[in-house]
Amino acid sequence: MKIEAQHKGDVLVVKLHESRLDSYVATEFRDEMDRYAKQGESQIVLDLSLVEFVDSSGLGAIVTTQKRLGTDRDLVICGANEPVTRLFKLARLDKIFQIVVDEGEALAVLAS
Amino acid sequence: MTIDREKLPSPAEVVAFRDRILAHVRYSLGRDWEGLSGRELFQAVSLAVRDHVVDGMLATERRYRDEDRKRVYYLSMEFLMGRSLGNNLHNLGLHDVCKDALQEMGVDLDEVEAGEVDAALGNGGLGRLAACFLDSMATLDLPGFGYGINYEFGLFRQEISNGRQKESPDHWLELGTPWQIERPEERVVVPLYGHLEEVPGSDEAAWLGWEVLVGAPHDMPVVGYGGQTVNVLRLYSARASHDFDMSIFNQGDYIEAVKRKVESETVSKVLYPSDAVEQGRELRLVQEYFFVSCAIQNILRTYRASHDGFERFSERVAIQLNDTHPALAVAELMRVLMDEHGVGWDEAWRTTQATLAYTNHTLLPEALERWPRSLVARVLPRHLQIIEEIDVRFLATVRERWPGDEARVERMAIVEQGVDEPQVRMAHLAIVGSHSVNGVAALHSELVKSQLVPDFHALWPERFNNKTNGVTQRRWLLASNPELAELVTECVGGDWLQDLDVLRGLEGFVDDLSFRERFRAVKRGNKERLARIVRDTAHVVVDADTMFDVQAKRIHEYKRQLLLAMYVMHEYLGVVEDGRMPLAPRTFLFAGKAAPGYWVAKQHIKLVNDIAEVVNNDPRVQGMLRVAFVPNYRVSLAERIFPAADLSEQISTAGMEASGTGNMKFALNGALTMGTLDGANVEIREEVGPENIFIFGTRAEEVESLRARRAYDPVAHYERSAVIRRVVDAFDSGVFSPDEPGRFRWIKESLLQGGDPYFLLADLESYIVTQESASRLFLDEDAWTRKAVLNVARMGKFSSDRTIREYARDIWGVRPVTLRPVPVPLEV
Repeated sequence: MKIEAQHKGDVLVVKLHESRLDSYVATEFRDEMDRYAKQGESQIVLDLSLVEFVDSSGLGAIVTTQKRLGTDRDLVICGANEPVTRLFKLARLDKIFQIVVDEGEALAVLAS
Repeated sequence: MTIDREKLPSPAEVVAFRDRILAHVRYSLGRDWEGLSGRELFQAVSLAVRDHVVDGMLATERRYRDEDRKRVYYLSMEFLMGRSLGNNLHNLGLHDVCKDALQEMGVDLDEVEAGEVDAALGNGGLGRLAACFLDSMATLDLPGFGYGINYEFGLFRQEISNGRQKESPDHWLELGTPWQIERPEERVVVPLYGHLEEVPGSDEAAWLGWEVLVGAPHDMPVVGYGGQTVNVLRLYSARASHDFDMSIFNQGDYIEAVKRKVESETVSKVLYPSDAVEQGRELRLVQEYFFVSCAIQNILRTYRASHDGFERFSERVAIQLNDTHPALAVAELMRVLMDEHGVGWDEAWRTTQATLAYTNHTLLPEALERWPRSLVARVLPRHLQIIEEIDVRFLATVRERWPGDEARVERMAIVEQGVDEPQVRMAHLAIVGSHSVNGVAALHSELVKSQLVPDFHALWPERFNNKTNGVTQRRWLLASNPELAELVTECVGGDWLQDLDVLRGLEGFVDDLSFRERFRAVKRGNKERLARIVRDTAHVVVDADTMFDVQAKRIHEYKRQLLLAMYVMHEYLGVVEDGRMPLAPRTFLFAGKAAPGYWVAKQHIKLVNDIAEVVNNDPRVQGMLRVAFVPNYRVSLAERIFPAADLSEQISTAGMEASGTGNMKFALNGALTMGTLDGANVEIREEVGPENIFIFGTRAEEVESLRARRAYDPVAHYERSAVIRRVVDAFDSGVFSPDEPGRFRWIKESLLQGGDPYFLLADLESYIVTQESASRLFLDEDAWTRKAVLNVARMGKFSSDRTIREYARDIWGVRPVTLRPVPVPLEV
């Protein structure tokens, strides 16, 4: 699994370089996100702009990350294409996470 | 457009049609004309017809899009379509063109039509009604679409072996069908299973861990009479999701991935072979949800293609639920509106109620669907959450209306509590989530209000209404009885095809001797045709001069095939024991399938065949009594049976048959009805007049009263009447099962010790007396014919066109979208 993480100010921007976030990569992805949570990141942007497909394991891994972060730290999703956004809605994750168009908007949301 | 039935096909039309068939033989099938198999010939002819159908379908969709009018969607687990070729030819006005074209090629159209496999995607009345409704919606130019499941195996094939029913699979799609167009680009993803997960910091739970099915649509065009409007029945096949399976493939588990794929595809594999839903079957629940979800997604996609927001959704969309099988549409529409389109609860609920309407089809308790809450929680966790929220809000309304009446709250709850295993009552869900609840005959609709759900009627009386069923005259007279159709047209013109009330004009011919003779000749020809089928399939030679007394329908205790069997026993015993010959010679014909797990119904088939064995081989009754069980009852066989019947047996226990539609088809084809005051028989009597129908037996209110007071005593009937006693005793004397004398003893026990729940002994004597009246009348050929003609003449009410007009006006609020521009005609 290829994942790129870089700080932009206080925010950690994590970009997944995979076309699929499914059960094949979900465990590794979750562990990686878990590591960021443990290292004390308080604001994370997850950039899914290269992801074409997410299954419910992938969505579960994102929810687990949110649980690790708890209620006082933020996770914002950006870059999801239309089919991926539909799956987020199906799982009702759009009611739990902030889902925005791109990284710029995500950083603006966190800044505000 | 009205088809000019007087007009003969022009030579140019015939040649062009022939060329089109030949082109399909060559370019679609890749064959030469020489050596073409019967199946290939059917395909080539059907593809030639399909060209016209497709033109009409595209033009119709264009018209609907341009006009942006309200559409109606008919959701049904079953569509008993039967054969399509003949029906499409008639409705397109191409029947004679095709017939002549084939004749020039040395082929008989009837034989080509006979080669088509029935689309048997239904069990009985409910599925056939859905098919008749599609025909009527298209004929009336209504934008009406069906949604269902593309079962790979339709209703089982029935063979009779040693007098018993044997089932074999009906793989109707094995060789493909020319009438379906697959739409792979319109596949939809259906999520199910999984769990709801709370997430810290949010009031909302996520639906995670779901699996998905893919719904692959197959469109079956439905041609309205005149060919102006061609609507679509969209049937979904379940497929595995390539995207989702990739995950498993990627993990290297090829076998698991293939196993999952096969499991996914079982969802649309087989039609459940029972009128009454087999409770608790997970696959059945998944089937119901699968097609509902596919339909709702597609409906929303169509709506969203030309509308933003959902404020006007119910002004543009009406959804009819054919029984409770699609009742999950209430929760699915709520879920999709709220979860996938961000609509708030209140607006989603208003929209759902204003869009959905529910048709009740049965008063039988075992046919009222209930699903264990635990099963729904496992298969559809998010939907159960929505259903329970609907329930909470609904019960608050009930408590507000009837403060302190917790017994009523319990009775009305969608999720039944206070039992070991809480159940989701689908009828309650359908009623609460709909703006209209209708029964399917006047009597039935009254019983829905007074017996089935009186609490709901008390709460929302305005929601309840009646829509008496009907049948399409295009299939059930024009296509199935062409000789009678021709005679009728000659007398009253061809407008009856779109306005069945025109048949009233036949009353003016009832005194015309030559008309009556021709009417009889048509019946006689149809009886001879059926006699050949009986000979070839039941291996019983029957005489077309005898009265054809027919009971053709699903085998069920409440429909009382046993009562007719008992009458046959009575007649036979009268001859052999009393020397009393029947008044009129009769041929008793039974046809119908029993659900494979319904032991009693299957025993009734065995009984009929055992009676047939005894009666048909006894020289003492030769020429007077004949009995046959015609195997594998299905739409195409029904099309041969109805036109040939003299007497139509509609003898259900009063209050138990919702409507019946076979009763209408028989009468439309000139059979007299022998019936109880049940279902639509009541209205048939009103229409044809009490002097033109044979009515007997206990009335619905008497049955109900006897049941309520526990006052029915079958033993008293047995002891009082020697006639009843002789028939009942014959069940354990072995007279009809000499090889195993005790085979039917259980029937006697069920009648006497079992309480006779279907009131056979209460009705047997009046049935016998009424049957004697029928025999006497049959001896007077002319008097019988007069009544038969009047039955045909007065069937106008029972056209499904009338039923659909009422649905359109009272429930759906949809109007016809008629043709304006003439579509570019195909070069025929």
